[in-house]
Amino acid sequence: MSLENDLRNALRRESPPAGFASRVLQRIEHERAPKRNRWWRAVAASVTLTAILGGWAAHTIHERREGERAREQVLLALKIAGEKVRYAQQEVRTIGTNE
Amino acid sequence: MRKVFIALTLLCLLAVPASAQSIKLDFPALADRADEIVDVTLDANMIRLAAKFLSGNDADEREIRAMLGGLKGIYVRSYSFAKEGEYDRNMIDRLKSQLGANWKPLVTVRSKHKENVNIMADMRGDKIDGLVIISAEPREFTVVNIVGDIDIDRLSKLEGEFGIPRITKKDGDHD
Repeated sequence: MSLENDLRNALRRESPPAGFASRVLQRIEHERAPKRNRWWRAVAASVTLTAILGGWAAHTIHERREGERAREQVLLALKIAGEKVRYAQQEVRTIGTNE
Repeated sequence: MRKVFIALTLLCLLAVPASAQSIKLDFPALADRADEIVDVTLDANMIRLAAKFLSGNDADEREIRAMLGGLKGIYVRSYSFAKEGEYDRNMIDRLKSQLGANWKPLVTVRSKHKENVNIMADMRGDKIDGLVIISAEPREFTVVNIVGDIDIDRLSKLEGEFGIPRITKKDGDHD
């Protein structure tokens, strides 16, 4: 009958140790908390990334506008300067051919 | 401390000739009377930025980009008037008096009824390190100051409109 005794001992009803239930609840709470943190971190990362990309896009647009404006100003300035130099050269040539 | 003082003094001494290359181009009295104003102010940074936006496919723009490489500043003031006699012709001499000993006259065109043009170059040996063009017409006064290494022949060969709109400013418009 030793097997019967062994089984009875093994399957004997035992009360959980003191504080078992609170430890289980604490563990569950602890596992839940990081999940919530991860979700907030993802949101924060998305917001930061959007802000960085938005800032970069705005900077690129601003730089393009400034660049196009500078290009037009350079072309205009060199056009005016070129016209004046050409006029002076033509006048010098005309005087040269008349003499 | 003494080394820092010497370094600062040297820096100031070097900075004076560098800044002396550009001239003072503010004519508030003319701006008040002008019908149309062209105002271009480009420092070295803006010139570098502009060069990035010039097309490599267009021959004119390629030429301009090559020319911009040696430039440190481009300044243009052009005033158009509704009638003659709106500006003092002595302004030409006042502008010339701002130029240092390195500046030599290259071309001077004098005409009673047409355009008077003075072209002066900042000569550093055989090299031109700056250009001032003063053009005085009965109804228009224009000053161009180009600071840096500039090839005049290249400049005169730049033809065409480059598809640029005329930038005009009316009184009080500071954009």
